[in-house]
Amino acid sequence: MPLLTEAPPRKRPETPPMTQDAPKTPAADSTAPAGIPAIQVKGVDFSYGDKQVLKNVTLDVPQNQVVAFIGPSGCGKTTLLRCFNRMNDLVPGARVTKGSIIIEGANIADKSIDPVQLRRHVGMVFQKYNPFPRSIYENVAYGPRTLGERKKAALDEIVEKSLRRAALWDEVKDRLDDIATGLSGGQQQRLCIARTIAVDPEIILMDEPCSALDPIATAHVEDLIFSLKDHYTIVIVTHNMQQATRVSDRTAFFYLGEVVEYDTTRKIFENPVQKRTLDYISGRFG
Amino acid sequence: MHSDTPHILREFDQAFASLRNEVIAMAGQARLNLERAMQGLLQRDLERCKAAIADDDEVDEAELRIDRIGMETLVRFHPVASDLRLVITTMKCAANLERVSDHATNIAKRARKMLSRSECAEVAFLEPLYALADQQLRDAMSAYTDRNAELGASLQLRDKDLDKMHKRLIATFTARLEEGGERAEDYLHLVFVARSLERIGDLAKNIGEDAVYLDQARDIRHDKQNRPPVSDEVRAE
Repeated sequence: MPLLTEAPPRKRPETPPMTQDAPKTPAADSTAPAGIPAIQVKGVDFSYGDKQVLKNVTLDVPQNQVVAFIGPSGCGKTTLLRCFNRMNDLVPGARVTKGSIIIEGANIADKSIDPVQLRRHVGMVFQKYNPFPRSIYENVAYGPRTLGERKKAALDEIVEKSLRRAALWDEVKDRLDDIATGLSGGQQQRLCIARTIAVDPEIILMDEPCSALDPIATAHVEDLIFSLKDHYTIVIVTHNMQQATRVSDRTAFFYLGEVVEYDTTRKIFENPVQKRTLDYISGRFG
Repeated sequence: MHSDTPHILREFDQAFASLRNEVIAMAGQARLNLERAMQGLLQRDLERCKAAIADDDEVDEAELRIDRIGMETLVRFHPVASDLRLVITTMKCAANLERVSDHATNIAKRARKMLSRSECAEVAFLEPLYALADQQLRDAMSAYTDRNAELGASLQLRDKDLDKMHKRLIATFTARLEEGGERAEDYLHLVFVARSLERIGDLAKNIGEDAVYLDQARDIRHDKQNRPPVSDEVRAE
């Protein structure tokens, strides 16, 4: 679907409700080929004013895979993530100065692309869960309603489907009118994921989604990430190496604005090619 | 690939140094036990046989220490890449060395029984087999400690030479055994000693395969297609 034009909602094949005991294969063991790219980053330079933070970044994010961005603070991984739905537009002086980012055939770095329309296709989950101070139902229904959905039955269906996919339905189905901020931290983050899913994106960006969560809530979110890749392409920024190995199919290591190494997660964590990658993942970074 | 850059956590480097030192010492003790057992047999030296049997406990204890350090390292530091391979292969190497020492003990016990009888000239037939097994064990440990995949992989081919020599010896001893006579019991002991030496060659091959995995993250066990090329220089050694 072209991003430049409004189009009817996409039809995806219906999938059965996600269950806790669905058969799974560890993501870190995936040796599947890269597949069709959902995002193509080609030679991207990015600057905040005069400060260049991304240098000639090139990588493909395959469809229906989870790609982890790792690297030390300030290496550019979050900047690239925020390029994918133009969140950097909100920062004065921030711009792609070279290269292109292709999503669904369009260069989304091009200013002619409507960022609001883009964000419908590329949703984002933030480090700190941020539900609206409204009911659980309203949090999920907000996006579809903003996009013009007014029918109560349709909204009910979207809310249930989104909460099911976010593995939250069973926990909140009897209290959809309760205020969202009353949920536990992990539930609030999963609600934010449900809110993202509700507008039916193709791609979900996650910026350290578990950094504010305890290990149990983190496990729930990681389990969810693994389930979601059947329907969505996911890019996750994480400082947690074990999390990258658990949830991602491919991993990119960033350093000083460059992609040092990008390969299957298994290859990166078992036998990386670049010494800088090995030193970083093994805790030898000076 | 592995990195010589020091880890941010000094305790990490200390734990890995400890693991490395323990396995080197264990290999030295296992080889010493084997040497004592074989010298005890070849030179009819009861004291050496007894020492080989007694010192097997030290090798057993070393295996336990290495497993404990390895487990602690996994739990505390969550190593990845070459560090993870080092922990896994060190624990496997320790298990192989423990078996080497067990075979040395078996040889020493057979030797002790043979020493109570008159000298058997055919004992000398075992010398070349022992020399080959010991050389392979030494090279396996060199491959492991030097992360030398080529040398490690070469042990797969060299083990076949040892197997052939073992087969020839077994045929010789079995033929004499079938002839009967008062030496029959000695030949039976020699068959078992030869069998232990052949198994030590297998264990050296296992360590060599683990050295390849440690160095290159390639698992060459049971994989005839995927063996790294071995240069003539290494094969000649």
